[in-house]
Amino acid sequence: MRAELYHRSVVAVLILLLTVPVLATLLYSLSEHWGATILPDDLSLSWYLQLWQDSAFLAAFGRSLAVCLGTLLLATLIIVPAVFVVFYRFPGLDKLMNALILIPFAVPPVVTSVGLLNIYADGPLNITGTPWILVGCYFTIALPFMYRSLANSLASINVRDLMDAAHLLGASTPVAFLRVILPNLRKGLMASLFLAFSFLLGDFVFANLLAGSHYETLQVYLYNMRQTSGHFTSAIVMSYFLFTLFLTWLTARFSK
Amino acid sequence: MKTTSLPLAGKPAVPVRPRSRLRHWPAALLLLPFFAMLILFSLAPMVWVLVNSVHTEQGLSLANYNDILSSPFYRQAFDNSLRISVWSSVIGLVISLLGAASLRRVSGRLRRLVVSITNMTSNLTGVPLAFAFIILVGTNGALTLLLRQWGLIEDFRLYSSNGVILIYTYFQIPLGVLLLYPAFDSLDDDWQAAASLLGARLWQYWRYVGLPVLAPAILGTFILLFANAIGAYASAYALTQGNFNLITVRIASLVSGDIFLEPNMAAALSVLLMLMLLLVTAVNQWLLKKGARHAR
Amino acid sequence: MSYVEASGLAKKYGNATIFQDIHFSLRKGEFVTLLGPSGCGKSTLLRSLAGLTDIDAGCIRVDGEDITRAAPQKRGIGMVFQSYALFPNMSVEQNIAFGLKLQKLPGSEIARKVADVIRLVALSGKEQHYPHELSGGQRQRVALARALVVEPRILLLDEPLSALDARIRKSLREQIRDIQQRLGLTTVFVTHDQEEALTMSDRIFVMDQGRIVQEGSAEMIYTRPATEFVARFMGSYNLLTPTEASRLLQLETRGHLAIRPEAIQIFTPGQAYPAHLSAPLPATIRQHQLLGNVIRYQVQAHGITLQVDQLNRRAEDLLAAGTEVNLMIDQQQMREVH
Repeated sequence: MRAELYHRSVVAVLILLLTVPVLATLLYSLSEHWGATILPDDLSLSWYLQLWQDSAFLAAFGRSLAVCLGTLLLATLIIVPAVFVVFYRFPGLDKLMNALILIPFAVPPVVTSVGLLNIYADGPLNITGTPWILVGCYFTIALPFMYRSLANSLASINVRDLMDAAHLLGASTPVAFLRVILPNLRKGLMASLFLAFSFLLGDFVFANLLAGSHYETLQVYLYNMRQTSGHFTSAIVMSYFLFTLFLTWLTARFSK
Repeated sequence: MKTTSLPLAGKPAVPVRPRSRLRHWPAALLLLPFFAMLILFSLAPMVWVLVNSVHTEQGLSLANYNDILSSPFYRQAFDNSLRISVWSSVIGLVISLLGAASLRRVSGRLRRLVVSITNMTSNLTGVPLAFAFIILVGTNGALTLLLRQWGLIEDFRLYSSNGVILIYTYFQIPLGVLLLYPAFDSLDDDWQAAASLLGARLWQYWRYVGLPVLAPAILGTFILLFANAIGAYASAYALTQGNFNLITVRIASLVSGDIFLEPNMAAALSVLLMLMLLLVTAVNQWLLKKGARHAR
Repeated sequence: MSYVEASGLAKKYGNATIFQDIHFSLRKGEFVTLLGPSGCGKSTLLRSLAGLTDIDAGCIRVDGEDITRAAPQKRGIGMVFQSYALFPNMSVEQNIAFGLKLQKLPGSEIARKVADVIRLVALSGKEQHYPHELSGGQRQRVALARALVVEPRILLLDEPLSALDARIRKSLREQIRDIQQRLGLTTVFVTHDQEEALTMSDRIFVMDQGRIVQEGSAEMIYTRPATEFVARFMGSYNLLTPTEASRLLQLETRGHLAIRPEAIQIFTPGQAYPAHLSAPLPATIRQHQLLGNVIRYQVQAHGITLQVDQLNRRAEDLLAAGTEVNLMIDQQQMREVH
């Protein structure tokens, strides 16, 4: 069939386009040397060994994990009760919330950074150059993912009926929330957390402009390593990529 | 929320006192940290940018805008940003369209594989993406050396406008496929069958039915790709170490450069960037409204 | 002289046979129904006639011309789909004009033809509406108009009424039949609904598991089912196995015995009955069901439950459960089926 062949070719080209840069980087990171040949010679893990013994890399990775996980914890503590309250007590607010959470999404991070750098460089909240300003920004990045996912979960259960039923059975509102509503949110919340995690790890703009060398995250470290061997940087890229892959896998597992 | 309830049949209706919103004030307290964070880290910076864009040492004025618009250097930045965003969005859109259309016609296993690949590669953006391309097609990249040895190219200049378009297109494709693929589900296969029985060739079906029906999704995807490209900073910055003149690169260098900082100028540039985004979105909305009658 | 001639049509998907050994011929202007349960291959067969699905074997001729391998665009066939398949981005008028525009007819001629067909399907005033603004019945008529306006040689209708509610279905049934007869259009109609098939068709092809198992006029199919499948599918037949037939009626049969519920008469004790019918069969009323002008009784005789239809004349005549009665069965209306 001609049509079938055409569609398969298009999909094959698409796969090729998307995977070639990744595969090339992988091969590069696994080779001692790669000149003008189709495949490199001397495959080895030496670049990875070198990378994973580099204290600067481990420190940067640790800082990235700390600031991302810290943000996600804070975001969970703030956003979960807020979404619940909106759905249970102020359903009229949902429209407004949906518009508000899109602002951080619609405004380029560079633009937000301009304001942040000037507001928090001095004055009462002097947090520029500290991880705290990143936590604040990352909160707004994680917000749309988490709000939408939680809102979808809540919309799919009848919050009011469940709460009324729990109340009639003698539960107080906080207990009813923790024991009845929260278990229904767990899966969607986990999926959105992993998705947000991979987005946060990918941030370079905020990290570079707001914290820079004062708090060197993985992305900033990678950028600062640009003058070293390409094999070494590709080992960083692949380590980072494999980690986000793991997060994507977790997202997919929890979205089922 | 309606607070009145229907009287039960057979019983006299008892008027229900409408509950006051104030009753829920403890619940409202839970919203406080949420709004505080949103205001501190999203709304406040926006307001700062808006206010300070019209602020100069001489007080309130549009001087910043005037300086930008009369500067060939800034005009070039706008020019580059626009050109690169439009081209990478258009090329990315066309590839995603062809890909998404074919994706519906291949086996489920292959389709799931492609969806996971697009999900995976959508993580490859910014600095890592730039580095991957430097390794592949940089001056001493594996593919560059190979193609040069085969005599297929003389030189590919990755650190140029075309190089930036290439990299941007790469991160547009996964996004485009993920956004467009669901839209193709709205196409009924019977439409194509009906069109062919009425005498339409395949291209005529796409020209008169398929693409017009997909138009809102295509337009919406284009806007998202365009916004994604014009606000992007990391990949171009990492590729050229800030030497390629884009609006975002200019804005960042005005607030974080080592030499002189001009935050108000950065604010004015930011406002112009957002105005461009607004304009594109408004045109999109207008086009949607024009063709909205059938869209449902 | 037949207008459409199909011989030896067959289609497989992998190992599954969709249909095979299909032969039929249609006269010009004939309304033929492909009737069968879902999954019997009737819709795929229809799509094959239109050229939307390739066939593995066989030959289709229309007016002497072999169209077996012709593209759908070249067959001169109009089709109405179950989902209507109206183009959502076009108004009623644009949908109908689509085929004419592709033929590059002059604008005035397109306008005239579109106006004519809109009047024919009684959609005047809806020209500028979009499909989502119309009711199911109206969409159906737009789909019909769009197929008719290009003046096809054959009209194919793929369960066009199945998505509509009962009342609209009935009136559309009449409209379609009326238009078809006025235009003298050769029509193939696909349905799983026996009533639709019986009321609309000149001829019915009953399909089962990819084969045409019986063809004939509506009266023929209804009163003389050729197989057990047809008898069951046409509904409410009493089907007696050979042992039941011999126990109940002392008849030796090799296949099943099919008896229509209205071929059985009920006589209460003491009521006089015509002598020329078979011997009376003692039976007991078990329950009844009211079907409007007909009452359907479940009656038990010799441990076998039969369905018997009686005209619903007077409420006082209703027979209560447990009533002992005599049954008379018209031998001429019994059919042996295999």
